[in-house]
Amino acid sequence: MKDTAYPLEIPNLLRGEVKSIERWLRSGHPHASASPLVMVLVGSALYGASIGLWRSPLQAGFAAIKFPSVIILTTLGTALLNGMLAPLLGLNIRFRESLGAILASFAIASLVLGALSPVAFFLAWNMVPLGEIPSAGSNVHAWVKLFHVGSIGLAGVAAHVRLWQLLKKLAGSRAVAFRVLGSWLATNLFLGSQFIWILRPFIGAPWLPVEFLRPDAFRGSFFETVFHDVLQLIS
Amino acid sequence: MTPNDVSLPPPLPPVDGGAPAPEVPIQGVFSAMEALLRRPADLWSHLRKPGAGATILALIGIAALCMGVYGIVIGTFAGGDQLWAAPLKVVLGLLISALICLPSLYIFACLGGAKTKLSEVVGLLAGLLALMTILLVGFAPIAWIFGQSTDSLGWMGFLHLGFWAVALGFALRFFFAGFRVLGQGGGAGLKAWMILFALVMVQMTTALRPILGQAPTFLPPEKRFFLSHWTQHLKEPSPAGAEGQRGAPAGAQPAR
Repeated sequence: MKDTAYPLEIPNLLRGEVKSIERWLRSGHPHASASPLVMVLVGSALYGASIGLWRSPLQAGFAAIKFPSVIILTTLGTALLNGMLAPLLGLNIRFRESLGAILASFAIASLVLGALSPVAFFLAWNMVPLGEIPSAGSNVHAWVKLFHVGSIGLAGVAAHVRLWQLLKKLAGSRAVAFRVLGSWLATNLFLGSQFIWILRPFIGAPWLPVEFLRPDAFRGSFFETVFHDVLQLIS
Repeated sequence: MTPNDVSLPPPLPPVDGGAPAPEVPIQGVFSAMEALLRRPADLWSHLRKPGAGATILALIGIAALCMGVYGIVIGTFAGGDQLWAAPLKVVLGLLISALICLPSLYIFACLGGAKTKLSEVVGLLAGLLALMTILLVGFAPIAWIFGQSTDSLGWMGFLHLGFWAVALGFALRFFFAGFRVLGQGGGAGLKAWMILFALVMVQMTTALRPILGQAPTFLPPEKRFFLSHWTQHLKEPSPAGAEGQRGAPAGAQPAR
C-alpha cells in the first residue's frame, strides 16, 4: 500500500469522502502530499492577489506570495506539536498522517478561497482605488474588509467541517475527534495569527508605501497589539 | 487536574480496525518516546519488569535533552551568553526540582494509599518529565517565532509559562493515570504533591534567574520568592514593544 501514490482528488476532498481521503492519508507515498500542497499554493495565492490588488498590482503580487506562505509556515510550525497532541488526546495516527490531515483541511480552505477570488477581483476592480478613498465619510474600506473576513470565515468553516468528519472516522469517537480538532485549531490559530502579523501588509494602507514586509515586521506580536488595543478601549 | 478526575488516556484504536496491538518491548530512547506518546500502558507495565532501570535512564535522558533544546529556544530571545546559560539553567532546574520533590512524592503517595515501589515512582516521575519536555519541544517553533517578534520580557515570560502549564497538564495526566495503574491510587497525597511540584518548578525559575532576559551575574545576587519577583516585575513600566529589553546591556534591567 505504501508504494502506491493515491492523489487527493479535488471533488473527493470537497465532498468530504472520508474513505478516499483516508486512503490518501494512509498511502504514505511522498508524491501524495503534492496534490494538497498545489491546492494550497494556487488557491490561496489567487485569493491573496485579490486582497492586495485593491492597493496596487505590486501589492497583489506580494500578497499572492505571502498568503500561501502563512498557511505553509503555520502548518510546518505547528506540525510537531499537533503530531504529539493527536495520540495524547486519543487519536492513534502517525506524525505524517496528522500533518496530511491538517494540510488537507487547509487545501479545502484554499480551494474555497480560490473559487471566491474571481468575486474578490471583481470587487477590487469595482471599488474606488484605495489611494483615492477620502479619509472620512466613506465606508468602502469596511465593506471590503467585511467581504474578506466573511470569505475567509466561510473557507475556515468548510475546512473544519471536513476535518471534523475525517477525525471522527479515524478516531471512532466524537469526543476524541472534538478534542483533537479543538487543540489543532487552537495551535494553528495561535501561530497563524502571528505569521499574519509578521507578513503584513496584505491589503496595505494608502498612506504607507507598497512593500513586501514592513520595516518593523518582527516588532511586537499580534496578541500584544490586541491586548494594548483592548486596554486603550477600556481605559 | 487531580488524581480523581483524571481518567486513563483513551485507548488508542488500532489503525487496521483489528484487535488491540500486543505490548511492544521498550528499548532505547526512541522507543521510550514512542511509548510515552502512543502506548503509555506499555510503559507503565514495563516499569514493573526487571530491567526498567535502563528505560528510566532513557526517560531522564530524553527529559534533559528536550529541555536543553527548549532552553536554547528560550536563550535565543536574549542571545549572547543566554544561548548556553538558559539551556543549562532550565535543564539543571528541571532535574533539581525533580530530585527535591522525589522524596515527598514517595511519602505522599504512600500516605495516599498507593502501593508502589520507589523504582516505579521514579519511573513515573521520569515519564512525567520526559513527556512534559517532549511537548515543550513541540511548542519550541512557536516560542521561537514569538521570541523573534517581540521585545517584551513580560509577554515572553507569560507565553513560556503558558506552554509549560499545558505541557505539565498533559504530563500529569500521564502520571496520575500511571499511578492508578501501578499503585492503585494515591489520592489526596498526590494532589498535594502536584501543587508542591508546580510551586518548586516555578520558584526554580526565580532562583536561577535570569533565564529569559539578561543580567550582570550568572545567578541572582539576592534571593526572592517568585510571587514578589513577578509582582515587582509587573509593577515596572513596560510599554508595548518597548525597546531595549531583549538586548539591553547587562545590568540595565532586572534579572528575570
